[in-house]
Order: sequence, then C-alpha cells, then structure tokens
Amino acid sequence: MDHQGHSQNPSMGVVGSGAQLAYGSNPYQPGQITGPPGSVVTSVGTIQSTPAGAQLGQHQLAYQHIHQQQQHQLQQQLQQFWSNQYQEIEKVTDFKNHSLPLARIKKIMKADEDVRMISAEAPVIFARACEMFILELTLRSWNHTEENKRRTLQKNDIAAAITRTDIFDFLVDIVPREDLKDEVLASIPRGTMPVAGPADALPYCYMPPQHASQVGAAGVIMGKPVMDPNMYAQQSHPYMAPQMWPQPPDQRQSSPEH
Amino acid sequence: MEDIGGSSSNDNNNNGGIIKEQDRLLPIANVGRLMKRILPQNAKISKEAKETMQECVSEFISFVTSEASEKCRKERRKTVNGDDICWALATLGFDNYAEPMRRYLHRYREVEVDHNKVNLQEKGNSPEEKDDELFKLSNRGVGL
Repeated sequence: MDHQGHSQNPSMGVVGSGAQLAYGSNPYQPGQITGPPGSVVTSVGTIQSTPAGAQLGQHQLAYQHIHQQQQHQLQQQLQQFWSNQYQEIEKVTDFKNHSLPLARIKKIMKADEDVRMISAEAPVIFARACEMFILELTLRSWNHTEENKRRTLQKNDIAAAITRTDIFDFLVDIVPREDLKDEVLASIPRGTMPVAGPADALPYCYMPPQHASQVGAAGVIMGKPVMDPNMYAQQSHPYMAPQMWPQPPDQRQSSPEH
Repeated sequence: MEDIGGSSSNDNNNNGGIIKEQDRLLPIANVGRLMKRILPQNAKISKEAKETMQECVSEFISFVTSEASEKCRKERRKTVNGDDICWALATLGFDNYAEPMRRYLHRYREVEVDHNKVNLQEKGNSPEEKDDELFKLSNRGVGL
C-alpha cells in the first residue's frame, strides 16, 4: 500500500521563531524535536517556552476553514448527484441493456446459501443500485484525492471515503487496517498532536506527573532515560501512563490517590 | 466478504455457494468505466483502486441480499424480488438509494406489463389486428 497521498499533507506545528510561515510550509529542521505545544526542545533536557501558540491557532483555523470548504463542496456535489440520478431514472426506457452484467450479479446473490430463488427484476434493480453505489463511492473518494492535490484516485482514497461515511461501515473489512488507521489519523486536525523528529534520535521515557517537578516539566524527558528504582518503588498503586495527547490545563489530572 | 472460490473440480458447480474467484466480482472493465463517468476528464484511476471498488460492490450486493433474504425467510417466501431489495436498502440506511430504486422498479414493471401485453397480442391475433393493436399501443406512448 503506498502512502503517496499522505506525503503531501501540509506539515503544521510550533516554530521557535516569531516569523509567519506560509500555510503548508515545513517549519521543522532535520533532527529537531518538539515538546508540548507552545514549546521547542532546543537542547537535550531543556524545554523553552515560546509565544508560538498564536501561530498554531492560525494554522489550525486555516486548515479547518479549508476542510470545511471542501466538505461543503462535497455536500453540494452529492446533492446534485442524487438529483441527477432521480432525473435519469425518470428518463429510462431501456431496461434491457445495463452497465453491469445481470448474470454476474445473480451469481453473487446466489453465493448466499440462504437465497433460494431470485426474481427476474432483482438483478435489474441491483444493476442500477450498484451503478449508483460505484458513482457515489467514487465521488467521495475523489474528494480525498483532491484534498491531497493528486489526479490519480488510489486505494487509500476509497479507504478515506469509507471511514468518513457511516453507511459504508460494512466495508471496513475490505480496506486493510493500516489504510483505515492512516485515514483516522489524517482526519485529526494538524497541530493537535505533538510532532517529533526521528524516533531513534534520542531515548526518552514517560514520568508520572507528581515526579515531573524534579525534572522541570511533565511529559517527555530527553536524553538519558531516568530509571531511578526508588521513584517507582514508593508507589503503592501500579504505574499508569499519563495521556499521550496534550490536554487543556483545567482537564489535566494527576494520577488518582488511593 | 469471505473468499468462496472452490477447488478446480468444483469450478463450474454453483451449488452450495461455491463460485469461481472471478465470478465473485463484477468485471473490472465495467467498474472502471462507471468510475470514470463521474470523474473529470484528466483524472486517472489506479488498478488497485478499481480492484478495491470491485470488492466493495460485491460486498454491497451480499450485504443487501442478506437483509432481503432474511425478510423472505421470516415471511416464508422463497423468492427474493425487487421490493425486498428496496426494503433492504432502506433498512440498511441507504435512504438515498431506496426511493430512486422504488421508482425504477415501478417503471420497470410498467414496461414489463406493456411488453407482455404486446407478446400476448402477437401470439393470438391476425396480422391486421396485431398491427392495429400495436398502433393503439404506440399512440398510448409505449416505447416498443
């Protein structure tokens, strides 16, 4: 499965400098690692706070605005599509020639062992319903192709359309798990997830929030992993990792005291 | 949908839900042609996307057929008809499909009834009467 579509997504995140970046530009230098939103890791173990939250907000708003426009456009296209379908049905006079072979449709229906007999009209109805199904799913998939500024409709575009449309839930087993996972991640607005450099660039470990004061900030510690056995031995309850994604300060909780 | 291709000895046997691998899917050329129909002129479709669409359509047929078949079983009927398919589409949430398909089914039945009338007249009438009947039918606006 190629992830060609995702490589073109605009990268967004926090930038150390105050310079305004164009939408879609990549603010990250190779090897740079960012900490929580609004901060940049400048050297191993130190986290500096920056006034970049405003820029993050602007990027997020720009992304959401474009996404909303695309969704609105898709809704209009779909409305037009269903209107056209109804008009075409009103005009149909030839029920002998079909876009899809009736015998093959009947075979697929017969594959269900509960099906005993099929009336002559059933494959005719299915031929038309399948035609509409292909057209709708293609139209929804093409919306994702355009979002990624491509001109070739790919398998991951169909996966995206399936993920975004409730009535297509029955198709989730058709597209591989990785495709669906990619689409779910892609649907989360950029900037809401912490962005990091190469995974093997620096070792890290998570610390419980109550011990974070020893280091300076809750979350990820860069540099040598801190493995002080006393730190964990004094806890009576099992260690539970804090939430991966950053939360607003009022919602962030320390681990419960028993 | 599960792969239900049988062994080579059973290839031509359509009993017990055993069908050939290629018969499990609609032809890729037809599917590709329909996909192209709704896309811009300069759009391209990868082979992998066409194959995925083939799988999706087969799953769609099986999904709807299963629901329609269940309705027939509950009502102790042996034959799945157009009404059952329209009902299944609506039940499964395909509201945008159900209404146009009911209209399509209605039109199909109208044409079939008229077609059968013509066939009956062709069998039972003399050439002169037959021509007269066909003339009357054509005046009624029936496309023959």
